[in-house]
Amino acid sequence: METDTCLQKAAELLAPWAQETIEPEPGRVDVAVAPGDLVAAARALMDARWGYLTAITGLDPGEEDGRLEALYHFACGAAIVTLRVRVPRTRPAVPSLIDVIPSVSFYERELMEMFGIVVEGTPNTDRLFLPEDWPDGIYPLRKDFRMEQLGG
Amino acid sequence: MASEKFVIPIGPQHPALKEPGHFEFNVDGEIVTDASVRLGYVHRGIEKGAETRNFVQAEYLVERICGICSHVHATAFCLGVERLAGVEAPPRAQAIRQIVAELERIHSHLLWVGVAAHEAGFDTLFMYTWRDRETVMNLLEGITGNRVNYSANVLGGVKCDIGPEQAEAIQIGLNFLEERTRHYLEVVSSDAMFLRRTRGIGVMTREDAERMGVVGPTARASGVPRDVRIDAPYLLYAEHPVELVIEEAGDLEARFKVRVRELFESYRVIRELLTALPEGELTARIPRRIKPAETISRVEAPRGELFYFIKSNGTDSAERVKVRTPTLPNMASVLALSVGHQLADVPMILAGIDPCFSCNDRMAVVKRNGDEQVWTWEQLRQYGIEYYR
Repeated sequence: METDTCLQKAAELLAPWAQETIEPEPGRVDVAVAPGDLVAAARALMDARWGYLTAITGLDPGEEDGRLEALYHFACGAAIVTLRVRVPRTRPAVPSLIDVIPSVSFYERELMEMFGIVVEGTPNTDRLFLPEDWPDGIYPLRKDFRMEQLGG
Repeated sequence: MASEKFVIPIGPQHPALKEPGHFEFNVDGEIVTDASVRLGYVHRGIEKGAETRNFVQAEYLVERICGICSHVHATAFCLGVERLAGVEAPPRAQAIRQIVAELERIHSHLLWVGVAAHEAGFDTLFMYTWRDRETVMNLLEGITGNRVNYSANVLGGVKCDIGPEQAEAIQIGLNFLEERTRHYLEVVSSDAMFLRRTRGIGVMTREDAERMGVVGPTARASGVPRDVRIDAPYLLYAEHPVELVIEEAGDLEARFKVRVRELFESYRVIRELLTALPEGELTARIPRRIKPAETISRVEAPRGELFYFIKSNGTDSAERVKVRTPTLPNMASVLALSVGHQLADVPMILAGIDPCFSCNDRMAVVKRNGDEQVWTWEQLRQYGIEYYR
């Protein structure tokens, strides 16, 4: 009950930017937004005090798809809203949420180093998990990553 | 010269707890003015590894993400994969999963009280809590056969039952621990010397906590009512709930009180589950291949919300497994909270969030002088005594 009300409210808040809204399973709403609308959509949730950003998932649907995805999961009680942003593989970039969610830095650093998605405007672009000598331009959680790319 | 930054590097080896992480603190005299962190010294590529193994193998892999809260990782993974497959573990299995999860929380919180006390220079409390923690470690070993990486879960259920004898042993153990916990609660809220290291230190207001997105006891010590067991009940937490434990002060003292008070809730709910243990099967059949779908699985680890995103693709292995452990959001608060504090308070502030570190608790000799051996617990214990004599 309460969860459904939460989800309904989120869907209403996100309606101006929603390209596609699906309910993949009970308690969840998945809203596709354009990269340019990500900050506005997140701000709508935060201004309405709708839960908190719980994680960012990077996804690689494979080379033939030609895109990469960044999934921003917000949780409010048992309800989860995912903002799904699809970016072209040739020039993958999303705007930073740092002005809306000050604690987002770690999540964005992880997304950058693991998937090579450029997070524009994020304050710290240092690696968080990968070693200093990790080669530039090699992103381990992409599907086309091969161990041989590391050389040695 | 006065305007020049003085940077103190701490780590990567064991900056406070026995966990590698590298911090850089800018200081003005003794006062911290800025902080940054570099993680990944124990990054093992498990998310990538989980994509190349089948679901059964991946469950064993994710259980090894953490040596302290291994069970809760496996539980989150199993619940997610079971949901993707449209399978539900039998009630008895869910009850056993919840009992082991709460026993794990007891061991984790007692371990934390000891480590944090050690950081405060209170080694007597450290040794007493760790002595008492052995009680719950023995109970976990009694149920699952293992002190760490219990491996209680399988996809579709659990692989170990709790019989009347074990139930009685658990009751006896909990009685002892409950009495000790009452004592610890008194110590952390009344010992004058200890309070000088905890009261008013590392204060995080409710507003800060919500803004920084912290989770678990770290959030609850700042008055944020956030607990996955209550907000989004899984296993049997709807039928056998725990009460929210919350403190308002937001300082280290509050973080001690929240964790110690949570222990009583764990004792209570385990007893409740033992007396109402559902009869029936321990496992449900689960298909090897799982149709393409995405799911999110959230559980309350000892350190807070543990988040799993799992995507299946119709084969017997996952397309993507994303793990967000509670330490990541909580770690951001350490950097923010350290600013303005004495450098000497930093280890306590770091310990205050209970950062999750991998632990390796037990040695096993399988080959010695070319002879394969199986050792009993008593022989292993004796070997340990001789080794350190």
